[in-house]
Amino acid sequence: MRALWTPYVWFSRRSIVVLIGVQVAVTLGIWLSLRATWLPSPVGIIEAWRQLIVNQGLLPNLLESIRTSLISLVAAGLLSTLIVFLSTAPLFWPFAKFMAALRFLGFAGLTYIFTLLTKNGDDLKVGLLTFGMTVFMTTSLMAEVKAIPQSSIDHCRTLDMHGWRISYELVLRGKLDTILDLVRQNAAVGWTLLTMVEGLVRSSGGVGVMLLNQNRYFNLDGVFAIQITILLYGLLQDWFLGWVRQAVCPYLATE
Amino acid sequence: MSDTVADYSYTRSECLMSIENLGVHYDRPILRDINLKIYDIVRPNLTQGQVVTILGPSGIGKTQLLRCIAGLQSPATGTVSIQAEHGDKHVHAGDVGMVGQHYPLFNHRTVVDNLLIAAKRANKTREAVDHYLGDFKLADQASKYPMQLSGGQRQRVAIIQQLLNRSRFLVMDEPFSGLDPQAKQMVCDTLLTVSQKHEWSTTIVISHDIDAAIYISDTICVLGRTRDGQGQPLPGATIVDRYDLMEMGLAWRPDKQKLLQFATLRENIIDRFKTLL
Repeated sequence: MRALWTPYVWFSRRSIVVLIGVQVAVTLGIWLSLRATWLPSPVGIIEAWRQLIVNQGLLPNLLESIRTSLISLVAAGLLSTLIVFLSTAPLFWPFAKFMAALRFLGFAGLTYIFTLLTKNGDDLKVGLLTFGMTVFMTTSLMAEVKAIPQSSIDHCRTLDMHGWRISYELVLRGKLDTILDLVRQNAAVGWTLLTMVEGLVRSSGGVGVMLLNQNRYFNLDGVFAIQITILLYGLLQDWFLGWVRQAVCPYLATE
Repeated sequence: MSDTVADYSYTRSECLMSIENLGVHYDRPILRDINLKIYDIVRPNLTQGQVVTILGPSGIGKTQLLRCIAGLQSPATGTVSIQAEHGDKHVHAGDVGMVGQHYPLFNHRTVVDNLLIAAKRANKTREAVDHYLGDFKLADQASKYPMQLSGGQRQRVAIIQQLLNRSRFLVMDEPFSGLDPQAKQMVCDTLLTVSQKHEWSTTIVISHDIDAAIYISDTICVLGRTRDGQGQPLPGATIVDRYDLMEMGLAWRPDKQKLLQFATLRENIIDRFKTLL
């Protein structure tokens, strides 16, 4: 038992499964027995879920949110990769630093500018979300590129590689697994931004709008039902992106 | 039983690499007045390359020297020239192969892809890659990724990659660092194999391993600081000693570790090391 409190102790897979099972059971037990106003009962949440699906269109709204999230994720991944790839040349480095610095800007202050730049609510959502994820991904990717050791650059130069060929080998190819991992991490960040963006542009729907509506009418069962839906989808998406990363970068399995 | 007596006679032919008055300075001098010429050593009926080891204590500037020799860093003073197809030329990045201390390879490429990337840039074929893999006992590792290789295998792949790219000049940074005796012997054997690949094959090893240096080299240079009249070390390291192992009868002899000269030279260099920092 003492080992449970001791850091860096080896546990068998079976022990870990048992440990998780016990913790889940205890949590459910506490949840079922607790009568708190801030924590709806599982039965209430399931009922709210049914209502949301049947009467309020949870599934089409979820699909709309997934669509917005995926388009923005792909766009942000491509944009930040391009920015960081270009930043290996001195001319583009200040621009990349500037993009990374924009992560401090609040969405509320950007909505008006993006409204002027886009044609409709849909584009506005995608634009805001892409911007939000791009600035964070650019920051993380620039740190990765900065961490490329001089010996790796020397290695390329001894092989007669120059300029963009070095950037291609070390950044695009060499950091592809990191880029995909950052896409995976930012997909999670994207969902927290998504609900905010959908709240700003209510006309095109999405789970963010539904969440705000449930909040407005103090329907805590509905809020929990939507949050759990987002959590389950997020875990599924995380697993899928992890699988894609392993498939695209088979060398990761050898580490 | 063979009665043949090994022939260790040699002559020096053309100059293959010339380092003249090389100096590296940052906020203080790191290296100064480095002068070194490496000649083609010719042995009767043999393909014999050159192996020069630059010995020196840690932190003396060996890696800076290596980067200058490989054309990766411009020296503050002096030049490094190599013999090229159309006469001598100043060295540029890509002219001299380099294997760094941690055997850099592209971890996202398989062994064979790592080698093909070098081969293609030098207009060599897949057959050349397979030939080297066979020669260095790596044929069964071709489809693996670098992370799946042992340290020794990784080092050999890194050497082949550089040989495929530029087959004549190779500099190696601390190839014996952290190896057990058996692994060290394998690296020595690999370097001797490389030196016999081509008459002009020139390997420059940067190390602080004295035993391995005597075992593989035909010439040893010791890098260190000289002292002024008051015994104070002068700023910047330079070549303070040069040992011609061919002249001493120690080069190329497989039994050299049993010879008295080996032990004597080893002791001399160890004593010299104590005065270098």
